[in-house]
Amino acid sequence: MADLLKDKVAIITGSGRGIGRGIAMLMAEQGAKVVVVDPGVNVDGTGADNSLAGGVVGEIQQAGGEATACLESVATMDGGERIVQTAVDNYGKLDIVVTCAGILRDRMIFNMSEQEWDDVIAVHLKGTFSVVKNACILFRQQRSGRIITFTSVSGLYGNSGQANYGAAKDGIAGLTRVLARDMGRYGVTSNSISPGAATRMTGTVPEEARTLRAARGIGGSTGSAPRLRGEGDDIAPMVTWLASDEAAHVNGHVFHLTEGLVSLMNNPEPVKTIHKETRWTVEELAKVFPATIGLELFNPAPVQAPSQ
Amino acid sequence: MVDTLRDKVAIVTGAGRGIGRGVAKLMAEEGAKVVVVDPGVNVDGTGADQSIADSVVAEITQAGGTAVACQESVVTMSGGERIVQTAVDNYGKLDIVVTCAGILRDRMIFNMSEQEWDDVIAVHLKGTFTVVKNACILFRQQRSGRVITFSSQSGLVGNSGQANYGAAKSGIAGFTKVVAKDMGRYGVTANSIAPRASTRMIGAIPDSAQELRARSGVASLSEGNELDQLDPDGIAPFICYLATDFASNVNGQTFLVYGDTVSLMSQPRPTESIYTSSGHWDMDELSELARNYLTKDIYNPAPAT
Repeated sequence: MADLLKDKVAIITGSGRGIGRGIAMLMAEQGAKVVVVDPGVNVDGTGADNSLAGGVVGEIQQAGGEATACLESVATMDGGERIVQTAVDNYGKLDIVVTCAGILRDRMIFNMSEQEWDDVIAVHLKGTFSVVKNACILFRQQRSGRIITFTSVSGLYGNSGQANYGAAKDGIAGLTRVLARDMGRYGVTSNSISPGAATRMTGTVPEEARTLRAARGIGGSTGSAPRLRGEGDDIAPMVTWLASDEAAHVNGHVFHLTEGLVSLMNNPEPVKTIHKETRWTVEELAKVFPATIGLELFNPAPVQAPSQ
Repeated sequence: MVDTLRDKVAIVTGAGRGIGRGVAKLMAEEGAKVVVVDPGVNVDGTGADQSIADSVVAEITQAGGTAVACQESVVTMSGGERIVQTAVDNYGKLDIVVTCAGILRDRMIFNMSEQEWDDVIAVHLKGTFTVVKNACILFRQQRSGRVITFSSQSGLVGNSGQANYGAAKSGIAGFTKVVAKDMGRYGVTANSIAPRASTRMIGAIPDSAQELRARSGVASLSEGNELDQLDPDGIAPFICYLATDFASNVNGQTFLVYGDTVSLMSQPRPTESIYTSSGHWDMDELSELARNYLTKDIYNPAPAT
C-alpha cells in the first residue's frame, strides 16, 4: 500500500493538532507531499505557537515522508494566496486542499459579541474561501484537483451556544455544494466532512453546559461527551480516500465520520408538501398545516417554565 | 378583515421590494404593526433610494394598516440595534423578526474577488445576526418571539456561480437551527425559508451564466422560465402563519416555499454507511468499501467534461 496519493501535493490547514494533524500524517504516509498549515493559535484564536506546524513536519519526516511547514493564517486572502504559493514553491504544483482550520467562541445568541461572531466566521468561512479560491485558479488550469472542507453537526443540526460556529459550518457545507458545481466540469471534486471526534475543540465545551442542555431537554447532536469517543486520527482514512484518484466520481456530498463509521449524508430535500390552486390565507394555513406538515414535527427545544 | 397578527409588532428587513414587501404588507393586513426596513440599495448593494421603504409604508397606511420606515443597513451591529430600537420606540415592543435583506454578486469561484465575497456574507449572514441577536435580547426577557430567516436552495442544494451567496444562505440555515435551540425554551421559535419567486434578484442572474451552466451539463436549480411565473407575494401567507401564535411549536425547521406550495425540508440524515468493527480503518479496507458500496451509484451534479 502506502501509495494511494503518490506524487500528489496536499495543503492541510489547521494540521498542527487534532484532525488536521492526523490527515497530514496519513496523507504523507500514502505518498503525498504535504504543506502543514498552522499558525499555532489557541482554540479561541489567540496566541501563536510557531513550533506547532514544524513539530508535525518533523514527525512526518522521521517517518520517511515529505512535508513543509506554513504558519500563515487562513483568515485573509493574502494568507490564502501565500499558503497555495507555499505548495507551488516547494513542490511545483497542488493537487489537494483540506481545510480543517477552525476556532471556537461559544456563547448564547443573546450574549454573543460582534467580535465573537466575526472571528469565528473569519477563520472558518472566509478561511475556507481564501484557500479554496486560490487553489481553484490552479485546479481549473490543470483540470484536476480535490477539495475537502470541514462542516459540523453543529451546523447541520444546530447546537445550542454556537450561533457563530453553526452559521460558519453550515455555510461551509453550502460553499462546498457550490464549489462542486463550479469546478466539477474541470475534473475537480469538492466534498465536506462532518467529523465526530474528541479533540481539544470539543474539550472546550464545558461539561456543565452539556449537563444543562440535557437537563432542559435541549437536543444536541454533540450534547454528550461519551458519543465523541473517536480520536482525531479516525477521520483521516476517508479524507485520504476522497483525495485519491479513486474518488474522482464523488462530488458535492457531505460525509459524517466517527470512530470507524463513514456515513453519506442526504442532501436537503422536500419531505412533506402542501399545495393549493389559489393563494393560501393565513387562517387556512393555521387549519391545514398542523394536520399535515406540522404533524409530529420535532421541536428541538420546547418552551420551559421560568426557573425559580 | 383578518387579525391573526393583531397587536403584534414585526420587523421585516429588505421589505422595500420583492418578497419582503409582500411579507410586510400581509403582516400589516393581518393586524401587525410593521417596521419596513430597507436602505433602498441596488441588487449588488450599491446606491441608496430612501423612498423605497417610505412607499411601502404609504401603501400599508393607505390600506388602513400601521407601519414605519427604517433606512438602517443590517450589516453593522449598531444598524441591527437601531432597527430593533425603531420597533420599540414606535410601538413599545417587538414580537416578530423577518430577515429578507440580501444582495447578489455572482461569480465563478476562481474569479470571485474578496469584495464580492465579503459584501454578500456581510449583508446576508452578518445582517441576519445583527438583527436577530438584538431581537433575542428582548425575546428572552419577554419569553416570546418569532425569528424567520431566509435561506435558499442555492445554499441547500448548490447553484453554480454563487459561492458567496450559497455559503451565506446555507450559513443562515445553520444559524437558525442554533437560534432555535438557544431560544426555544424561552418560548421563541426560529425557522428558515428557502423561497423561489420571480424578483429582481433572479433578474440579476445573467442569462449567459444560466446558458453556460446548461451547455456544460451543470445541474441548474430551475427549468427554463419557471421562476418567472412565481409571484413573490405567494411567500407571505406562510411567513405570516409562522409568525402567529398558532405556530408556537414549529421550531428549528427549514421550509421551501414557492407559488402556493409549502414543503418541509428534510433534516440531515445518513443515507448509506460503511463500518469497521475494529473502530480503526485500514486504508485498503476503506478504499474497497467506499468504492464498491458507499459511493457506487453516487450522484455527481457536475461531471467532468
